[in-house]
Amino acid sequence: MNIITCYKIVPEEQDIVVLPDRSLSFARAEWKIGQYDLNAIEAGMQIVEAAGGKVSALSVGDKQLENSKLKKGVLSRGPEDLYLVMDEQLENSDTFLTAQVLTAAIRKIGEFDLVICGEGSSDLYAQQVGAQLGEMLNIPTINGISKITPEGNKIIAERTLGNEIEVLEISLPAVVSVTTDINLPRIPSMKNILAAGKKPIIEWDLSAVGLQGVTKQTEVISTLAPENVERKKVIFEGESEEVIQKLFESIRKELL
Amino acid sequence: MSKVTKVWVFAEKNTALAQLCAGGRQLGEEVSALVLGTKEEAEKAVSYGADKVYWLGSSKQDKMLEDYTATICELLKKESPNLLMMQASKRGKHVAGRLAANIGTSVIVDAAGIEIAGGMIQVKHMVYGGAAFRVERALGKTTITTVGPGLFNALPEDNSRQGSVVEVDFVEPAGSVKCLERKSKKGAEVNLSAAKRVVGIGRGIASQEDIKIVEEFAGLIGAEVGCSRPIAEGVNWMPKERYIGVSGAMLKPEVYIAIGISGQVQHMVGVNQAKVIIAVNKDKGAPIFQHTDYGIIGDLYKVLPALKELIKTNNEN
Ligand SMILES: Cc1cc2nc3c(=O)[nH]c(=O)nc-3n(C[C@H](O)[C@H](O)[C@H](O)COP(=O)(O)OP(=O)(O)OC[C@H]3O[C@@H](n4cnc5c(N)ncnc54)[C@H](O)[C@@H]3O)c2cc1C
Ligand SMILES: Nc1ncnc2c1ncn2[C@@H]1O[C@H](COP(=O)(O)O)[C@@H](O)[C@H]1O
Repeated sequence: MNIITCYKIVPEEQDIVVLPDRSLSFARAEWKIGQYDLNAIEAGMQIVEAAGGKVSALSVGDKQLENSKLKKGVLSRGPEDLYLVMDEQLENSDTFLTAQVLTAAIRKIGEFDLVICGEGSSDLYAQQVGAQLGEMLNIPTINGISKITPEGNKIIAERTLGNEIEVLEISLPAVVSVTTDINLPRIPSMKNILAAGKKPIIEWDLSAVGLQGVTKQTEVISTLAPENVERKKVIFEGESEEVIQKLFESIRKELL
Repeated sequence: MSKVTKVWVFAEKNTALAQLCAGGRQLGEEVSALVLGTKEEAEKAVSYGADKVYWLGSSKQDKMLEDYTATICELLKKESPNLLMMQASKRGKHVAGRLAANIGTSVIVDAAGIEIAGGMIQVKHMVYGGAAFRVERALGKTTITTVGPGLFNALPEDNSRQGSVVEVDFVEPAGSVKCLERKSKKGAEVNLSAAKRVVGIGRGIASQEDIKIVEEFAGLIGAEVGCSRPIAEGVNWMPKERYIGVSGAMLKPEVYIAIGISGQVQHMVGVNQAKVIIAVNKDKGAPIFQHTDYGIIGDLYKVLPALKELIKTNNEN
């Protein structure tokens, strides 16, 4: 089975700085692979390890994608090759634009049976790109998938909803979005990391995938941190009886 | 606040539908509800506040809600409402995304506020795991957004309200996702949001066994037990209904006690409204200490038993 897994790179939340005017600064932020996209990559790997085939990874975005540590990071988790669509116009894409570019890239890659998306990107967590992508590619698509079993030219999948589980038969090609409990992503070994450096990386810009002059369908009016809640920050250190006694004294009225 | 002309609403559940209809009344001149269900259910939407109901028919045994996407899509293209509000469930978000892709727009998910400013619809929603709220506007004719519980309060049901019911023809979907089986999952009913005191368990707990230690502590002070997301999804030691944060339960307790929780923003937005936050964590540098009223840097396996003893002695006296 030919599988394409989609991932997004995002700024590390811990490095985001709230400025005095409550706007955010990403100047000092490290970038990382979206936490829940690791489950998508792992899901792809487990399918090909069981049923044969190949996993390719795909991401679209701006120049942050050039980060070679992140490219290696993705490839060390198993995919055989990596496709990137990089363009300054893709900075802060909305979900529609992202899905549009992914569609064009997947058409250019050509053959595939299954596209796997994560549950949501770590920055927007819109849980949208998978559904939009499936619709744009005009193939079956579904979200919330917590188990995948390949079966010829279709897959049998479990979908976890609030209070029920659906067992689905999905004909291929298809796009599925997987949940975070579908698997525990592997931690790449040193050998995997070394091997990753030798795998092919194919880089395109927007014109290479036949999309020029595309625009966002939404306009951002503001992005501001919520007003800070002031906390007392009375912090004790240690595990001795006295320290815990002191802690207890200061919180007893909250506990009793 | 000024209004837009046409607002459409769609929900899986009646409680959500009633809230969305009420929201529709605030935002639009005319509210239309899309209803999949019996004729009576379709008519019920009128008593919730809809002026018009697009009745998609009774739900069929062999069809999933998702199979109605093409039907809704045709209607949407024909009628171009200004705003479509959908219940922020997994199904709702999925259908919303497919509709948006068809009409050439993005979905603005999980609205925390919807305003009409200068005739334009602006939606506020969380980004970066709750580190910020973004106000965003869709540029096309129709804005699609998903709305969670509590943004709007349902109006009292009014059976004297008048409205029309329009029956909609089913459009056969192209792709094939077939539901073979449905198993119900018995999730223990928990209502963390109503609890006055909540103790949160994080990855600092070493095994599923040890959750008992925290539960006993919570029992002593009459608190509910919640957890961070990895405890519910990852190691699966606690049910999903119990995880707290941007993608889980949002709380507003009197006291929140975080045990072995690092304090990532995605978790903290779920408890920021707590009056008092208390934390136990062995790492001095854990972000949680930036958000606590009272904290202790120490091993939870030493701190909790000692605290329990102190509470017990205190209760006895
Ligand atoms: C899009 C998105 C949405 C998310 N939504 C949520 C959400 O809704 N809710 C949520 O909780 N998370 C959410 N997360 C995950 C979040 O980023 C964090 O990964 C998670 O909250 C961390 O959980 P934790 O604090 O239990 O674990 P860790 O970060 O691993 O922290 C464990 C802590 O325990 C401490 N510790 C270890 N041993 C001991 C000991 N013996 N005694 C005392 N302390 C000890 C450690 O010092 C550490 O600080 C989301 C992530 C993303 C990307
Ligand atoms: N820029 C991107 N490049 C590749 N895949 C993406 C991108 N953005 C989102 N995705 C995929 O779509 C999923 C849902 O993203 P979102 O709709 O932003 O929550 C993610 O988990 C990824 O698998």
